[in-house]
Amino acid sequence: MGDDRLLLRIANDVAELSRVAETVDVYCDETGIPTDVAFKINVVLEELLMNTISYGFTDGKPHEIAVTIDRHDETVTIEIDDDGVAFDPLQAPPPDLDAPIEERQIGGLGIHFVKTMMDTVEYRRADGRNHMTLTKRIVPDAD
Amino acid sequence: MDITELQEKQATILQLSGRLDANTAATTDTTIAAVIGRSPVVILDLTALDYVSSAGLRVLLKAAKQAQTAKQKLLLAGLQPAVKQVFEISGFSTLFPIFASRGDALASAS
Repeated sequence: MGDDRLLLRIANDVAELSRVAETVDVYCDETGIPTDVAFKINVVLEELLMNTISYGFTDGKPHEIAVTIDRHDETVTIEIDDDGVAFDPLQAPPPDLDAPIEERQIGGLGIHFVKTMMDTVEYRRADGRNHMTLTKRIVPDAD
Repeated sequence: MDITELQEKQATILQLSGRLDANTAATTDTTIAAVIGRSPVVILDLTALDYVSSAGLRVLLKAAKQAQTAKQKLLLAGLQPAVKQVFEISGFSTLFPIFASRGDALASAS
């Protein structure tokens, strides 16, 4: 199978997440990405884009975030590029997964999902932009 | 997200259908919180829940805290494999009594 690339340019608006999810589902279906991998791609994109949209921009102006997904033979590569404030999600402290209900918090879970659900995660800051590169192996009929 | 409410004896069942994400969290939160406020046993039937993110888990955690404070039962049933995996990765599996089916949850509550 040859390379297939999806490019999404989205506004820094939470309402965009629905369009992202729908477009990613269609892309995964058309390129034969298994549903369990598609699920993980959707979770990871929502978590990272929510972070960027919620905390990445402090000037109150519209910004564009570029998301690309490349389906290769055995892997999927996801890239996210934005011009928000420098933020390396990999430096976020890990969540406490064993705390009792009353002390349990959601903070940090999103990044924990990103690290757990993807095979490789890289962050790069260059030319005033954040750039995340994620890869996930496609293993049919697994998980 | 579609939420259907059913009553079985003293238990209120909420069937969640679709996606529990950043866009649907607020309305889902309102619905669940209202039901926990007036029913001693609440079962969330997740058989038709296709997707959950940390924004969705936030809603469920808030519900668990509310139920614990009110000394009410909050049970989950019918998690799809991908949803179940999110629960496991996040350590949420231990926060709720989780049952394979709504019937199992009802049987345990009665």
